[in-house]
Amino acid sequence: MAEMAPARTYGQIVGSQFRKNKLAVFSLHVIYVLLFIFIFADFLANDKPIIMRYQGETYFPVFREYGVNWFGMNWQDVFKSQQFKILEEKYEAGDWAIYPVIPYSSTEYNLKVKLQAPTMSHLFGTDELGRDVLSQMIHGARVSLLVGFVAVAIYVFIGVILGALAGFYGGIIDIIIQRLIEIMITFPRMFLIITIVAVMETQSIINIMIILGLTGWTGVARFTRGEFLKVKNEDYVVAAKALGYKDVRTIFRHVLPNTLTPVLVTATFGVAAAILIESGLSFLGFGAPPEQATWGSLLSSARDTLPTGWWLTTFPGLAIFITVTVYNLVGEGLRDALDPRLKQ
Amino acid sequence: MKKSFLIQFALLILLIIFTNMGTRSSETLQEDELGTAGGMRVELTGDETVFESSPANDNPPVKGGTLVLAESAEPENLNSYTSTSAAATRILDYVYETLLDYDYATWRFDRPVVAENFEISPDGYVFKFKIRENVYWHDGQQLTADDVLFSLKAILNPFVDDAPMRSSFSKVVSAWTEGPFIFYVESSETYFRNPEILGGFHILPKHIWDPEGLLDRYSVEDLLNPTVTREEAAIKEFADAFNVHPQGRPVGDDAKPIIGSGPWLFDKWVTGNYISLARNDHYWNTEAPFIKGYSEGSAYLDKIIVKVISDATARLTALKAGEIDFIPRMRAVQYFTQTNTPDFLDKFQKVSYVVPAYHYVGWNNDKPYFSDKRVRQAMTMLIDREGYNKYVSYGLGIPTIGPFYIYSEQYNKNIEAWPYDPQRAVELIEEAGWLDHDGDGIRDKDGVPFSFIFSISSGSTSSKYLALMLKEDLRKIGIVVNIRQLEWSVYVENLRDRQFDVVSLLWIGGLEMDPYQIWHSDNIGDRGSNYVGFRDAEADSLIDNARFVMDKEKRNAMYFRLQEILHEEQPYTFMHYQRDPGAYLKQFYGVKWIPIRPGYKMYSWWRSTSMMGAGL
Repeated sequence: MAEMAPARTYGQIVGSQFRKNKLAVFSLHVIYVLLFIFIFADFLANDKPIIMRYQGETYFPVFREYGVNWFGMNWQDVFKSQQFKILEEKYEAGDWAIYPVIPYSSTEYNLKVKLQAPTMSHLFGTDELGRDVLSQMIHGARVSLLVGFVAVAIYVFIGVILGALAGFYGGIIDIIIQRLIEIMITFPRMFLIITIVAVMETQSIINIMIILGLTGWTGVARFTRGEFLKVKNEDYVVAAKALGYKDVRTIFRHVLPNTLTPVLVTATFGVAAAILIESGLSFLGFGAPPEQATWGSLLSSARDTLPTGWWLTTFPGLAIFITVTVYNLVGEGLRDALDPRLKQ
Repeated sequence: MKKSFLIQFALLILLIIFTNMGTRSSETLQEDELGTAGGMRVELTGDETVFESSPANDNPPVKGGTLVLAESAEPENLNSYTSTSAAATRILDYVYETLLDYDYATWRFDRPVVAENFEISPDGYVFKFKIRENVYWHDGQQLTADDVLFSLKAILNPFVDDAPMRSSFSKVVSAWTEGPFIFYVESSETYFRNPEILGGFHILPKHIWDPEGLLDRYSVEDLLNPTVTREEAAIKEFADAFNVHPQGRPVGDDAKPIIGSGPWLFDKWVTGNYISLARNDHYWNTEAPFIKGYSEGSAYLDKIIVKVISDATARLTALKAGEIDFIPRMRAVQYFTQTNTPDFLDKFQKVSYVVPAYHYVGWNNDKPYFSDKRVRQAMTMLIDREGYNKYVSYGLGIPTIGPFYIYSEQYNKNIEAWPYDPQRAVELIEEAGWLDHDGDGIRDKDGVPFSFIFSISSGSTSSKYLALMLKEDLRKIGIVVNIRQLEWSVYVENLRDRQFDVVSLLWIGGLEMDPYQIWHSDNIGDRGSNYVGFRDAEADSLIDNARFVMDKEKRNAMYFRLQEILHEEQPYTFMHYQRDPGAYLKQFYGVKWIPIRPGYKMYSWWRSTSMMGAGL
């Protein structure tokens, strides 16, 4: 009876708690799929073959595209026009190509198949220019996730630092930062974002990410401040102070790690919120530039064609719904797993 | 967790591998038998000058009934001179009257309205209008030459906020009255559009707008003289009052109605909701057929209610729900795909009618990419105008090769449009020296990469589609297109300052146009309308000379030549003349369509009370 179980680390405890929540685990897997799509979007939906044999040579056009876009490479002369589907007519014996699952890029248009309901060749139908909706959604997932993560990373960074300063030092610094937070939250966030976007010269997702990051930090800051207030009089903090550590070290090495976990839980919810806001902005036409496929802009183009074109609303709408839901579920699962009161 | 991730990864890889090699879309061609989608297509070719879409009705037109129509935007005010919105003009045209108007049989601007007749002096400079002696304002006062003179003075007053309108009156040198019913106006030029300008302004009642007679002391010459206008405070005082006069914004229940002389009375304006007009039962013109060949009477409908519904989907829903009777402008996709049910077609008549407005893509001729006409020609040949019209506009456009209205005598029918020919286009671009010299995949010339910005107004979906198509197509030939969406006011500002590479716009013209404003090199810069910077010595001299050629045929011959030059130079890519799709309840008769803006006039419409009108 006195046998001791091997000591478990904090991570293991949280992990086992988390795994008890089936819904959260499932949601986490959905997020993995989304991450997979995020990373491999170009290999999932593209009008270029992944690998092709053409006139006795083997090419990797999708990889080449990365080279062209990022490393200053050039298209081979035979592919200058990048119209691989037209090249097929010139195929000789032994030429072949393997296309991605969805052999359309998000910008490739074909007016002849505009506004088609889902068929075998366009699984999620086509939009007003005959662009493949599924391909646009796959590439739109990139925008959504990127905006979610980067925006939250920015505001967690700002919020944690300001919150830490306010909580650790108190006094005048606390008062200034608290007032700053209050000023920020008096503005309705969506309204503030739209106002900033409207005066921006160019539209880009980077702008959206920065704006979301700069307007979203107040919650995290308050949260961190509260945690700091709770922790700063603990013995180990007092000890760190007594040892004469610099404040920077005390804050970031000793206090912050003990306050960060709950902050990360809120960040998970934040990702969901940011994705939702980005979709909303794109829906209103303030978000990503027009050539950039996003879930929100797909929804917005559907608005013009309603009540026909149900596939233009249903699929992107579902995508937003699912993504936002799974992030919230994972956040909830994490929160519960971290809650010591629920520990058995 | 790691294991399941691997499984998912493997599954997706498998999916990729199982995809058949070289999948292609099965090109299920969308049938182009959309055609008219159960609607009528107004064609005004041949002898027809007016097109009637309602069936003949044996009963004579009856008075009564209400027409509720929906507009997308509300006018900012209803001051005839200071308002710049088309929505205001569409309403005020029923309330105010002009000296002359179009003759609906010949489409010349010579039908006397408030004027009984008019004469032009032999030298062509002085216009003499004889005002009818039986014209009364809505408040019972008589309309006299004083009102006409007052109206012209108000337009010419430099402090009145009507610069766009005043600019077309820049050649007026003098105006005076002779007795209560004779009005003279003198122009410094024998310009062919003089009747339209000098006889085409709304006449406002002087006793309402200037009861103290502030402008009485000044002649037209005084108002045109900057020294006088600067020194005389009353001129500015009048203008300040005029700009904010309650007649220009009669909002709410207690507002005094607008006093005009037209066949409809202003009734009420509830902002954000509707503007209503009521028939003027004491209208002065009761004897003669109101507009020959168009309408016997001046007004049949008891009431016209112009509802403001900004959302297109909501407009269509309102029509289907019976809240409104007429949508003058709906979305093409609504017209062609959402209103094809037998139910709808039974109850409503769909009509697509031509308005004098054309869609164009303007290339800034002063930018390095578009300074060479070969590149501009190539751009035209790179835009699949036919495909765009067929699939994006559902075939509503009518191809045009130049700026003139296709149904006017000014339009040169002998010019053949540039074909859609991307291959030839690439050759032209290379001929002009745009090759990929530095090997970065983008064409360049003299160190300038061929990368331009296509500016679109954020509200315009059709421009957005065009830009997206062009971006995708040009990417493949080594030209970068960046799309920039701008809010309308910023867009216009950039346009005026010529800060753009490419724009896509609709130009709303008239039946007979003077190309001076857009195509003369005088109007480049300084906020002139030659935004793209088109300059051509021969075009300039043609435009200058044609203005004063009163012989229509000689003048049009000059404009034919101008169109040849424009066709060769391609400062614009002329896309299409616009057809507006609309739908109205089949209870209305006398529904006629005309080639001038907005394409319809309510004078002839009447509502059948009998059950033979379908639907109810």
